[in-house]
Amino acid sequence: MTAAPPPSTTAVTGVYAAGELQELVREASARGEALRIAGRGGWLDAGRPVRATRVLSVAAMTGIVDYVPGDLTLTARAGTSLDEIARATAAERQWLALDPFGAGDATLGATIATASAGPLAHAFGTPRDNVLGIEAVTGDARLIHAGGRVVKNVAGFDLVRLLTGAWGTLGVITEATVRLRALPETEESWALPAPGDGAALDALLARLRAAPLAPLALELVSGALARRLGVGQRATFLVRLGGNADAVAGQRAAWAALGDAASADADVWRALRACEPSRAIVTRLSCAPSRVAGLWTLALAVCDSTSDAIAHASPGRGIVRCILPAGDPAALDRLLAAAARVGATVIHERLSAERWASVPSALAHRLSRAARAAFDPRRILNPGILGPDT
Amino acid sequence: MPTTPPQPGTPPSGAPERADLARLAERLRAIVGARGVVARPSELLAYSADGLPTYRKRPALAVFPSTRDELVRVVRLLAAEHRPFVPRGAGTGLSAGALAEGDAVIVGLNRLTRILSIDPVNRLAVVEPGAVNVSITRAAGAHGLHYAPDPSSQTACTIGGNVAENSGGPHCLKYGVTLNHVAALTVILPDGEIVALGRADGEAEGYDLLGAFIGSEGCFGIALDVTVRLTRDPEAVRTMLADFTSIEAGARATSAIIASGIVPAALEMMDGPTIRAVEASIYAAGYPVDAEAVLLIELDGLAAGLDADVRRVEALCLDAGARAVRVAHDEAERAQLWQGRKKAFGAMGRIAPDLVVQDAVIPRTRLPDVLRTIHGIAERWGIQVCNVFHAGDGNLHPNIGFDGRDADQTHRVHHAMREIMRACVDAGGTITGEHGVGLDKLEYMPLIFSEASLEAQCRLRQVFDPERRANPGKVVPVHSCREWTIAPAARGMAGAGNGSAAS
Repeated sequence: MTAAPPPSTTAVTGVYAAGELQELVREASARGEALRIAGRGGWLDAGRPVRATRVLSVAAMTGIVDYVPGDLTLTARAGTSLDEIARATAAERQWLALDPFGAGDATLGATIATASAGPLAHAFGTPRDNVLGIEAVTGDARLIHAGGRVVKNVAGFDLVRLLTGAWGTLGVITEATVRLRALPETEESWALPAPGDGAALDALLARLRAAPLAPLALELVSGALARRLGVGQRATFLVRLGGNADAVAGQRAAWAALGDAASADADVWRALRACEPSRAIVTRLSCAPSRVAGLWTLALAVCDSTSDAIAHASPGRGIVRCILPAGDPAALDRLLAAAARVGATVIHERLSAERWASVPSALAHRLSRAARAAFDPRRILNPGILGPDT
Repeated sequence: MPTTPPQPGTPPSGAPERADLARLAERLRAIVGARGVVARPSELLAYSADGLPTYRKRPALAVFPSTRDELVRVVRLLAAEHRPFVPRGAGTGLSAGALAEGDAVIVGLNRLTRILSIDPVNRLAVVEPGAVNVSITRAAGAHGLHYAPDPSSQTACTIGGNVAENSGGPHCLKYGVTLNHVAALTVILPDGEIVALGRADGEAEGYDLLGAFIGSEGCFGIALDVTVRLTRDPEAVRTMLADFTSIEAGARATSAIIASGIVPAALEMMDGPTIRAVEASIYAAGYPVDAEAVLLIELDGLAAGLDADVRRVEALCLDAGARAVRVAHDEAERAQLWQGRKKAFGAMGRIAPDLVVQDAVIPRTRLPDVLRTIHGIAERWGIQVCNVFHAGDGNLHPNIGFDGRDADQTHRVHHAMREIMRACVDAGGTITGEHGVGLDKLEYMPLIFSEASLEAQCRLRQVFDPERRANPGKVVPVHSCREWTIAPAARGMAGAGNGSAAS
């Protein structure tokens, strides 16, 4: 595998409408010019090896197109930020239950294209579970619609799922319809110190699974992160409970029975989402939830012995997310060795450009390559962003 | 078992095909045994329809593998022979999706019924494609777990069919559809290659080919095994029946409950004609026969807070005009309330010799006016429509009873159906929420998708099945795929077929 050339994007072209974007893609396709597709540009510094000379930005394609609160569905243009959607829906006591890590001005389009999810995925799933419809422009400049604006729909083959998480390589998302939920009547957040020992952690996780709890989110944060968030001195569980007053009271009691629970500020979730410094190395490890205590223990050993490293986990989903300082490639090597020891799956979010070159392609299977060829025959959309694709 | 040789006197053009078929049947028997192949026209009749009785197609053959290995060998033989095939589970589908005609072979999966493993800690089960939906819940029950999607046919339908149709059911309002409950699949592609889609022991990276496969109506291949997520049994359940003197009031109550933020496990509506059909049948559930609508509402979850939600839902129903709201006192009463709903289609079978069940979804705020429109359409065409449906997610199931022997009546039913579908699309809805497109909804696809969008779906099919041999002619109208048919060769993609199977 050859090292990908560093991205040398020179010009940024902003578009305002799907038709305009379609025209630009058509021209680029005719010239065979590769495009880097961006929203607000949050991923541009992730080091991903995209071979493109021009950034095509949908950040200016903003605005909520349709919002009928009684239907709990919302249609917005791709550049609309999650913050803007949150403001509009909060006025109706509703929310889009997606809270990806990073800044709140992340765009809806990028959140769907990257299938980014945060702590709320524990209860509400990832973008694939929350997106109802997509409008996109394919690599050969066709404007297509997939799915619809209703909450249940099996008409035709599921291009919504195909485009969600495709990182723009099958089409540029221009608009999307998402499923909303009513905001919980009341909610509170709690912290609980986590056992340092793997076996004790495993036992606590087993009690958690059996307890009468249905949290909106359940995260485990490393000691360094707990201190930064002001919720403890060592590894700590954070739980977000919601529902009517009786439901929250019942769950509070169940949570308190697990250990030394302390109330946490509601803002802790926003702080957690914003915990990673720009340019850090971010790597997600995952395994079956039953094995997450072991994986966490190994990852924590690496992070705790690395200055400025933090980690957090979604134990219910079997995911451990590690944030390592950019200048310490040895720490990443130790983490990858630990992951390999327990057979964990590794997904990189942010790396140095050189390290990306050794990451296996996410499009290795012939079906993935055939999909790429079918929707972007000249491979002009984000070429290389998911690894070699030819 | 030797096959019958071609009968003397058959037209010369049919003879080679018949000989081909006899040879294929013989090869299939070598894989699955004599009892695993159905070749006699009279016996093939059993596989000529699914749950939608208005379509009949006769397959060339039907083959029933009993093991995974047999299934793999069958698919590979069909690939080697470039023979189109149609995967079929229990045949309970409602879109004429599991029908085969011409030279297409039915691959029946209902002998592959095993539950291979249950992992109670990670809440997963691995099952064969022919496992009956409810058998998974039965097997998981000892661990306090169940498989959440529960189509009305759950005592008969197979998980493979559920994956193909992305099936829903009353409880998908809160718990989600098949897509949300399948973690991974091992599938055999139409060309015989075995691939793993998704994964259960960590995150999957790259394109969501698992998501694309679910709901592909048998056009992308056959699942060899299905890894489903299991759901913890709720700590408590409350089932309520709210009774209304008008459909509008019931629809208003539905909207109010959804807007309140309470997510019922199920929120089902039955209209007056349905109520009376159920009450006149052996499935009588004690519904008020003078009501014009009832809502069957189920709340479940943690015990804490559940009764507060019950009181709130009760108040919302009364505010919307309910005459009464009854909460089931025990499991027997709860089961009785559900029986009427689950057996409503059966009860309606008493009213008319034939029944078509329609399936469309509308935005939930449009329920009152679309139901009024449907009533008007029924009056104009002089037909009887019964509505029994998943009100909570706007998934309508207008049912029309008729006599298929009466050409005029059949004609009127067909026109009324088209108008109903058009009204749902005009309200911002879609043409199917859980039954699939199959053959039945092909003509409606252009109502909701542009030519470019339909063509994009053809491209996706082409990724999985370049020869278009798997369930040919379903889901996307053939004309949308014409342009794409010639494209793969031009692109130099491997395995590009002639596409004739879809024509």
